[in-house]
Amino acid sequence: MIENKSIGSRIFDKFNIVLMIFIGLLSLYPLWYALCLSFSSQYAVNAGLVMFYPVGFNLESYKVIMSDSGFFQSFWISVERTFLGVVITMVMLVMMGYPLSKTTREFRMRNVLMWLVMFCMLFNGGTIPWYIVMKKYGLINSIWGLVLGGGLPVFNLILLINFFRSLPAELEEAAIMDGGNPWQILFRIVLPCAKPVLATVVLFVAVGHWNDYFQGLVLATEEKYYPLQTYIKQFVVNISQTTGLSAEQISSISNLNNKSLNAAKVFISMIPMLIVYPFLQKYFVNGIMLGSVKG
Amino acid sequence: MRKLKKAACLLTTAALVMSLVGCGSGDSGSGSSSSSSSSSNESDSSSAELGESVSYTGDPAFAKFDEPVDVHIGMWSYAADDSLPEGDSVDNNQYTRYLKENYNINVIVDWTAEVGSNYREKVSLAIASDTLPDAVVANDMTYIKKAYDADLLYDMTNIWEKYASKQVKGIIESGSGRAMNSVTFDGRIYGLPGAGLRGDSINTLIVRQDWLDKYGLDAPKTLDDIEHIARVFKEEKPAGDATIPILGPGKGGALYTSFLGTTNWYFAFTPIFNACDAYPGYWIDNGDGTATYGSISENMKVALQRLNSWYEEGLIDPELGTRDNSYDPLNSGQVGMTFGCWSMMGYSSYQSMVDDPEADWQCYPIYDDNGKWNSSGADPFASAIIVNKNVSEDVAHALMIMYNACCRDEQYFDVSVNFDWYPLRLVISAYDEVEYEYQELYKVLNGETTAEDYSDPNLIYKLMYADAQKIRDVIVDYEPGTEIERKNISMDNLGDFMRYYSCLISARPVGKYTVDKEVESVTYVLTDTMEQRWSNLKTMEDEVMLKIILGQESIDAFDQFVADWKAQGGDMITEEVEALIE
Amino acid sequence: MKRNKKAQASYYAMIAPGMIWLILFNCVPMVGVVMAFENFNPSKGFFGSKWIGLDNFKYLFSLNDAKQVIVNTLIIAIAKMILLIVVPLVFALLLNEVRYKGFKRTIQTIVYMPHFMSWVVLASIVLTMLGYDGLVNHVRGMFGTEPVIFMSDASFFRKMVIITDVWKEYGYNAVVYLAALTGTDPGLYEAAAIDGASRWKRAWHITLPCIRPTIVLLSVLGLGSILNAGFDQIFNMYNPLVYSTSDILDTWVYRIGLINLQYSLATTAGLFKSIVSFILIIVSYALAYKFADYRIF
Repeated sequence: MIENKSIGSRIFDKFNIVLMIFIGLLSLYPLWYALCLSFSSQYAVNAGLVMFYPVGFNLESYKVIMSDSGFFQSFWISVERTFLGVVITMVMLVMMGYPLSKTTREFRMRNVLMWLVMFCMLFNGGTIPWYIVMKKYGLINSIWGLVLGGGLPVFNLILLINFFRSLPAELEEAAIMDGGNPWQILFRIVLPCAKPVLATVVLFVAVGHWNDYFQGLVLATEEKYYPLQTYIKQFVVNISQTTGLSAEQISSISNLNNKSLNAAKVFISMIPMLIVYPFLQKYFVNGIMLGSVKG
Repeated sequence: MRKLKKAACLLTTAALVMSLVGCGSGDSGSGSSSSSSSSSNESDSSSAELGESVSYTGDPAFAKFDEPVDVHIGMWSYAADDSLPEGDSVDNNQYTRYLKENYNINVIVDWTAEVGSNYREKVSLAIASDTLPDAVVANDMTYIKKAYDADLLYDMTNIWEKYASKQVKGIIESGSGRAMNSVTFDGRIYGLPGAGLRGDSINTLIVRQDWLDKYGLDAPKTLDDIEHIARVFKEEKPAGDATIPILGPGKGGALYTSFLGTTNWYFAFTPIFNACDAYPGYWIDNGDGTATYGSISENMKVALQRLNSWYEEGLIDPELGTRDNSYDPLNSGQVGMTFGCWSMMGYSSYQSMVDDPEADWQCYPIYDDNGKWNSSGADPFASAIIVNKNVSEDVAHALMIMYNACCRDEQYFDVSVNFDWYPLRLVISAYDEVEYEYQELYKVLNGETTAEDYSDPNLIYKLMYADAQKIRDVIVDYEPGTEIERKNISMDNLGDFMRYYSCLISARPVGKYTVDKEVESVTYVLTDTMEQRWSNLKTMEDEVMLKIILGQESIDAFDQFVADWKAQGGDMITEEVEALIE
Repeated sequence: MKRNKKAQASYYAMIAPGMIWLILFNCVPMVGVVMAFENFNPSKGFFGSKWIGLDNFKYLFSLNDAKQVIVNTLIIAIAKMILLIVVPLVFALLLNEVRYKGFKRTIQTIVYMPHFMSWVVLASIVLTMLGYDGLVNHVRGMFGTEPVIFMSDASFFRKMVIITDVWKEYGYNAVVYLAALTGTDPGLYEAAAIDGASRWKRAWHITLPCIRPTIVLLSVLGLGSILNAGFDQIFNMYNPLVYSTSDILDTWVYRIGLINLQYSLATTAGLFKSIVSFILIIVSYALAYKFADYRIF
């Protein structure tokens, strides 16, 4: 690229870099802060002494977590749920997205079904009927309740549909000439081109499953069935409302509020996502773009 | 982790409990007035008239079923509690085994949820979806009323009459039977209520005595005294720059007690309002057949303006009403004064004393300008067991036994396993237990009585015997005739320290002094209109009060609030409440 | 058209599993919306409770709270929506001007990170940072300014909610724009540079038009969630002092429904939200189709 380096342009470049570093630090800070809290002493945390680095450095919180079997049980449930959730959701989404990316001429019911899907995305009966239904299905304490219970992630479906539509029509036409049926076209032609958008959607679905705590709370009857975020949420409580509780209960809740320990849990809970993200990122960057630009 | 040990003379194994209950004490307990041991060991299979129900032997209040009876419950759990021995769980621990072995009751836990908001959500969801287990503890009156309105609850009237032990009947009676109000609808009983102590509802100032002494300050009596002390604390900064002279409620916390559950309002400013002769959150009987909601009375303005001036001067925690967790500054020793009842320092918040051997918290009543101690009144309701309509009579009977035993045998259990693991545990205490224990424990200390004077198993003050037996070990270097100070209480066992700190130091105001004016609320339950409107009105109320204190609104906003409150349903509700005055 | 018929069958087969899933887990629970027209009684169920028509709606709109809540929801959601289109765009354009590839990529990765943190966690971090002795007041103190209690200031709180959410999520949208930017033809820039166009002009005349479809898509998808002002975030951060500006439909529905057990009223509010969202989606679909010739789905 040819550049004419005017002074203004150079100043802008310097300024821009500084700005970007600043913005980067701003995004990094909470993560760093959580890390600092987790290494700080309980006293320093409560007294609000921790700002930019750990105060009263210790590994106590991590030791406690290492001996907390419940934490790892929940961790495993979340891993299992996220894995199953991603696999199943992806298969369903791809198989739905492809026909829905066709025109009404190619697939007659397309518009009707599409609006039905949209309708389902926006309307729901709320928590109570959802809970009753899940109970009827026998999905209490079941990994399948967590995997399927959230329903179809319609937003991701739209991304897929947009991507499929953006693929050059010639790709398929050639295959049709060769006598390929839609299944073959989908799996042999379309999907290999769709890696970017698939990576994107995988990440969305995974983050959704990993970060959800509410479903876990409603569907699990016991701590040992909790996914990780639900498990963590137990410890992040509002202890303002004490009436109706016994003094022992209040004391017990106030003990929950070990911020240093909670920060450590939070940090560990983020590790899987932080590991997975860079691997998906290279696909990811192209993915959404193609999904959004109509070809 | 800390161990809760509050019963003295612990029979440390469940086995001992069994043997004790197994032999002598089939008696159903009795009120403090009558000490005759009733019908013990008269074994009978008296359930013949019940047709297909399971037969049992022994006193009906503590019967042992011949066939196992399954009871499905929902329970709270404690993520931070590790008092359960390895291998035990919420449905298999010393308490469930005790119920199984003594009464042949199988406790089956259908679900658990962390105590607090998670637990409330579960109960709420169970009511809404009509999936209540056989029984569950509801710690909010709204839930009980809602479940009753939806016709989900079992009528426990007959069960109560037939199977309640004399001890629990005595305890309910000690509060004039008022604990029953929360579960009584149209004269029938729809649950088993907890019975709270009066002490849980009488709030006082709590202050760092060691700080007072350090600056040569006298114990506070009036609002002016508090103001003066707070100024000194603010100037001298005994805990450094982070010193908070007066700590109040944090995020979502209440500024004052409410008639819907009067117990355990920690950090609330209730004593300040009371000292201004205002009783916010209560329905005041005007004596002429009319009622006023305390929060809209003129006296509120005096208190609010006072609090506002303190806040502006920096005497009150700047993060009042928004602080994430009020326990943080309290536990880290930054606080000079706060408010609460007898169980707050000791039972509930002891960390600052563990960390700082000098920290000495003392409780004082606050007097009004005429030297009178006013206080919002107490209602024994805290929470209640609600029972699914579809249970068999056996299950209802079993629940009654569990309730009876929860009350009678608390002192015999090894409470190093948190007693809240007892299935459907409720606080079932004599109304005046705090006052009684305070006075009697001093008698024991001064040698006027001995522990054996309290050995009657039917005593409604159920922990007294155990406390009296242990007191000599826990209270050290005591000189008869003096008052217990922090240094007198041994810290060898944290659980004991907590218990005796609460009973002998925090309980001093209620134990030693008399409340001059105790204002009762006309009602402690919801009226029909309230069910729909109350939460909205209450939200509005909380917001206005807090804003006035923080100076975000002037005191004129109060009059506007009163007008709005009346217009948006307050007047209608007032009429309903007035109808309750007889 | 034998081939087409065969294809149709395949399409139906493909879509069937997803549709079953949709029906079982999205549609069936939808029967619960009948609660909005009833005085719901749990023991009588959805079909046995007393039918009261539109009374719940009338009551809902008679409540001052509800009106306030709807206004709050709209303000917060619209502000978030607009900022989440503009901020990432500006950021992406600026980052695009950076020429060190490694640096660019690192920043891009970092700004995405907050997206992975759930609000359960982030809320307490943000609250601590904005606390009386938190980072922000600390920094202000260095300039000699008195500390401020941010969390009790209703008008500040609403801005804070909007800004922190934008801060958390802009990285994601920025990545979308950056992806679109990498797709623009370098030849166009070179030509423009030769013509002597300034960087500013190039950005305005080449870059922006290239990523216009992306902007349209993000805007339209944003409209559909116009009434999702962010339950998790607000629920974990707010306090009664800031209800007046920051209580939104979702938090209100939660409090009314699950805490105060006014199921019917809560469902009514939820249904109202759904209806408005649906209308907005239809409108935006039509607008995008008409003006941008773009079918969103």
